[in-house]
Amino acid sequence: MATQTTLTPRERVMKFLKGEEVGRPPIFSGMGNVIVPVLEKYGINFAKVHRDPALMAKAAAGMYREFGFECAVVPFDLGVEAEAMGAKMNFYDDVDGLLYPTVKEKSVKDVEDVKIPADLAQAGRIPVVTGAVRKIREELGNDVAIGTYILGPFTLAGQVKELDELLEDSFVEPEKTNVLLEKISDLIIGVFKIYHEAGADYFTLREMGATSDVISPKSFKSLIKPHLIRIISKMPRPAILHICGDTNSIVEDMAECGADAISVDQKNCITDTREKLGTEVIILGNVDPIKVLHQGASKDVGPAVLESLNGGASAVWPGCDFWPEVPHQNMEEYVKALKS
Amino acid sequence: MKLVQIAGYLGSGKTTLILTLVKELSGGGSKVAVLVNDVGEVSVDGRVMEKYGLAVKDIGGGCICCQVAGNMRKTLELLAKNYRPDVTIVEPTGIAVPNAVREIAQTLAPKNNMRIGVTVVLFDTSRAEKLLGYDTLKRLVSTQLRDADIIALNKVDVASNEKIEQSRAAVQQINPQAEIVRLSNRTGEGVQTIAQAVREITMKA
Repeated sequence: MATQTTLTPRERVMKFLKGEEVGRPPIFSGMGNVIVPVLEKYGINFAKVHRDPALMAKAAAGMYREFGFECAVVPFDLGVEAEAMGAKMNFYDDVDGLLYPTVKEKSVKDVEDVKIPADLAQAGRIPVVTGAVRKIREELGNDVAIGTYILGPFTLAGQVKELDELLEDSFVEPEKTNVLLEKISDLIIGVFKIYHEAGADYFTLREMGATSDVISPKSFKSLIKPHLIRIISKMPRPAILHICGDTNSIVEDMAECGADAISVDQKNCITDTREKLGTEVIILGNVDPIKVLHQGASKDVGPAVLESLNGGASAVWPGCDFWPEVPHQNMEEYVKALKS
Repeated sequence: MKLVQIAGYLGSGKTTLILTLVKELSGGGSKVAVLVNDVGEVSVDGRVMEKYGLAVKDIGGGCICCQVAGNMRKTLELLAKNYRPDVTIVEPTGIAVPNAVREIAQTLAPKNNMRIGVTVVLFDTSRAEKLLGYDTLKRLVSTQLRDADIIALNKVDVASNEKIEQSRAAVQQINPQAEIVRLSNRTGEGVQTIAQAVREITMKA
């Protein structure tokens, strides 16, 4: 059996997520993990990286190669599943600046419009992601943990259906939304299976739209939580549940969804969360990816990392995707603080 | 560049008010841009607003998360650099929280000569019971109202006086600091008051 000092990065991540003792927590994330310092070094165009498995793999692996992350995570944007469901994306090829792809044309008006493609593995950019997973494994072998993520059912519903309508339906016709989320959940379970078969190691369900900023804890419990429980029960493991924004009132519900770990962002009071959930639950978070990592001074990065750890995070994750234009030095400080 | 927000839940009359404000501000010599944070509306609004020679940007998304916030930040930066408007009116999606937009602008302001203007949140008085009656919606609508500098009680031309006064009392309770304005996009009531508030803050900034 490997000792703490001989753990490979992948072993560290996987053992950590199983709740085993690994000494220093792993340096990893389960969300958008692509940054400009890596893209520039490899000459990769951001608008193109989302559509080419080789470029995606190279950019993801670059976080390990250039900064010592113990993971490579794909994809990078939030439109993969939506596109597989028929939504049209804007990749901003012609914008003179970095913008994440967004949905420009939604595909779902009514529940009946939700269709799981017969060949889901080949739908939209899903083969790009699976291709990237295989390529990363080919290039980095078993050294590095490969993470993938999929949006949660409510968030994904908001990508394929007009948000206002979704919210309106959620209270006027909750059963209608329930059926919609049920169908979308089936698709999510299917895509996770495909990512697992491609060789991914750990899996994050990102239900960022279910933040208490927008959805009341009561609605979260009645409308969204049952679907998260079902998805997580069928997800490959280890599974992580992430929700952005204000999660202070729903962390117990998040923990009850059955994932191996939960992830929260900077709006969460992690000390309170630790107190509520006890010592056994793996909590990931919650360094502010914008104010600290992107816009903060490099001297403030280390203290922010420590604050999360001292507050009760089992390992540090950024609160959400890294904003890709994170300064090189800030990223170095981030990794340095995590290694020390 | 000054940033003004016209926010409010779906169907509250944001787009109509924005078009009116754009005419007012452009007529006064200001260069105005409109940022529509809603893919669903942008194809329609884009065409309408382009008639007035505006720069309309689709920052799209449809999910409240860092990538959308990052895209908005970047788009505002690009607007400030490439189009140099005097005023940018942001129309966030109906489920956006105005404070989130304000926070984005605040992080940009120092480096981009950007100033934060007024946040107007529209409240549809004809649907007051629904907006504040349902648990799911009440939370969001209240959050939006709390972030307002001005709450515009809209559609006063179709709502009964009783409903208007009930709305006034309800929103006042949620945000006692906000200035409350009666608004009718149809009759024009209140439009000048809001335009003036935008102008004043624009001039102050």
